[in-house]
Amino acid sequence: MNPILERIRRSNRLKLCAILSPPLIFLIIFFFFPFTFVFIYSLGMVDYYGNFVFRITLKYYSSFIQLKGITTIFMRTIYIATVTTVLCLILGYPVAYTIATKASERYKHTLMMLVIVPFWVSFLLRTYAIMLLLKPDGLLTNMINTVLLKLGIIKEPMMLLYTMKGVLIGMVYDYLPFMILPLYTSIEKLDKSLLEASYTLGANPIRTFINVTLPLTLPGIIAGSLLVFVPAIGEFVIPALLGGTESYLIGNLIWTYFLSGRNWWIGSAISTVFILFVLAVTLIYIKFMAKGGGIEF
Amino acid sequence: MKRLADKVLKTYTFFIIMILYLPIAVLVVFSFNKVESIHRWGGFTLEWYKRLFTGQAFVSHSAALNVWEAFYNSIWVALVTGVISAILGVLLAYGISRFTFRGKDILEGLLYIPIIIPEIASSLSLLLFYIWIRFPLGGWSVVIGHTTFSISYCMVVIRTRFAGFDKSLEEAAKTLGADEIQTFLRITLPIIFPGILAAFLLTFTLSYDDFIKTAFTRGPGFLTLPILIWTWAKRGLISPELNALATLSLSVSITLTYLYAKLQK
Repeated sequence: MNPILERIRRSNRLKLCAILSPPLIFLIIFFFFPFTFVFIYSLGMVDYYGNFVFRITLKYYSSFIQLKGITTIFMRTIYIATVTTVLCLILGYPVAYTIATKASERYKHTLMMLVIVPFWVSFLLRTYAIMLLLKPDGLLTNMINTVLLKLGIIKEPMMLLYTMKGVLIGMVYDYLPFMILPLYTSIEKLDKSLLEASYTLGANPIRTFINVTLPLTLPGIIAGSLLVFVPAIGEFVIPALLGGTESYLIGNLIWTYFLSGRNWWIGSAISTVFILFVLAVTLIYIKFMAKGGGIEF
Repeated sequence: MKRLADKVLKTYTFFIIMILYLPIAVLVVFSFNKVESIHRWGGFTLEWYKRLFTGQAFVSHSAALNVWEAFYNSIWVALVTGVISAILGVLLAYGISRFTFRGKDILEGLLYIPIIIPEIASSLSLLLFYIWIRFPLGGWSVVIGHTTFSISYCMVVIRTRFAGFDKSLEEAAKTLGADEIQTFLRITLPIIFPGILAAFLLTFTLSYDDFIKTAFTRGPGFLTLPILIWTWAKRGLISPELNALATLSLSVSITLTYLYAKLQK
């Protein structure tokens, strides 16, 4: 091999190392490495004073499994995250579709900006704002009750705040922009001539949508669903502010074990299981993101 | 038929966007309400804001919660996080956009993890790590925590700048005798600068608004605005002072978003 080329390649590699190492070392130390600590704690290898002890025990895992109602909490979390994702998809798809295909070029940008702004407003504030509306005689509670009473679906007004319904409303409200964003990106990219081809070949709008639009925007659907589902299973603020005891989720459980001074070791065991589950879902997400369902800010 | 369908879709979209803003609008409007209610309008007042600024707010509940201290902490944490993340983000974006190397795809995938993974997972593991290395909890532990997720956001934003940038300019500079560092400082940096600024603004907002990471890594006594808001909202005490504080906090985020949008055009 040409020695000069070889030297250039080597110096390039050196440069690359110099450029990438500060951010990567930072992330390895403060982001990737700490995850191993959760695991180490969960095996009981750290004592009360934070010192390392050379022993491995599974007793924290067994006490975690024996916790009262633990299965219910896990199932409930997955259930709420799934329902939130499905609702966001159903509510968000028409919005993304309309902005991407029906709005004129002039308004497209403004409309998407309007969808993105809530993404910039803190979760906590948005949850607090919806809490105001979900109070017993809050605006949203009144609206929903009036409509449902008129339709005869319910016999008497419902309570929303501090119930599971309140949590779901909060979740959908907070996460909807996360769904619309990737959906919009993928619908926007869709080649419109394919839709025309489908019409020309005699398919009606509904068939075209099911056979052409939906499969082609699948990467966006998957990206959006995971962008909602993954944070939703770790959600803590919404159930804490809008829910009651019946809507206690994994996030609340972890919070209690770590910040309300309960048992860190059992907390770590719970978290290890939780993190592994999240990582599995995240890996699927990354796989699909490579196929064009990426996010932009 | 098609016209009708379009009309329905457009009305629906309008309705959803309205719903996204409704709670925020109510919050803002009622922070100017004379009476302590969120359904009855008693006239316009700036009383609640005045109380916030003169330190009279929340006194009936607990004197320990100092609005100014929280505001000051939030701002400095966001500033420092913004600067550190922007610098580290530029390095990452530069390395990834300008070099080809083995394992680049995997690296990119890994860099998305801090964005996607629920914050509670990375927060609790960072807390355990801090305890293990006996890192003092306070402002700096919060800054480091915020930086871990901000770097990835910065990388994503700055990279789009690198992608839409004419490489021949750099080559021209080199042909004209500029060395690598000169080329970077005189050509590359000015061109990607709007991207860096945008990344800084995004990071600033994320850090300023962050609650979960802060709650886990702050240790006792270090107060930020979100922590303060949380403390009150958690007790279910909805007070006009809190609405005023939330409105102020909101206006900071919205101003930053506006600047960001201007930069991204």
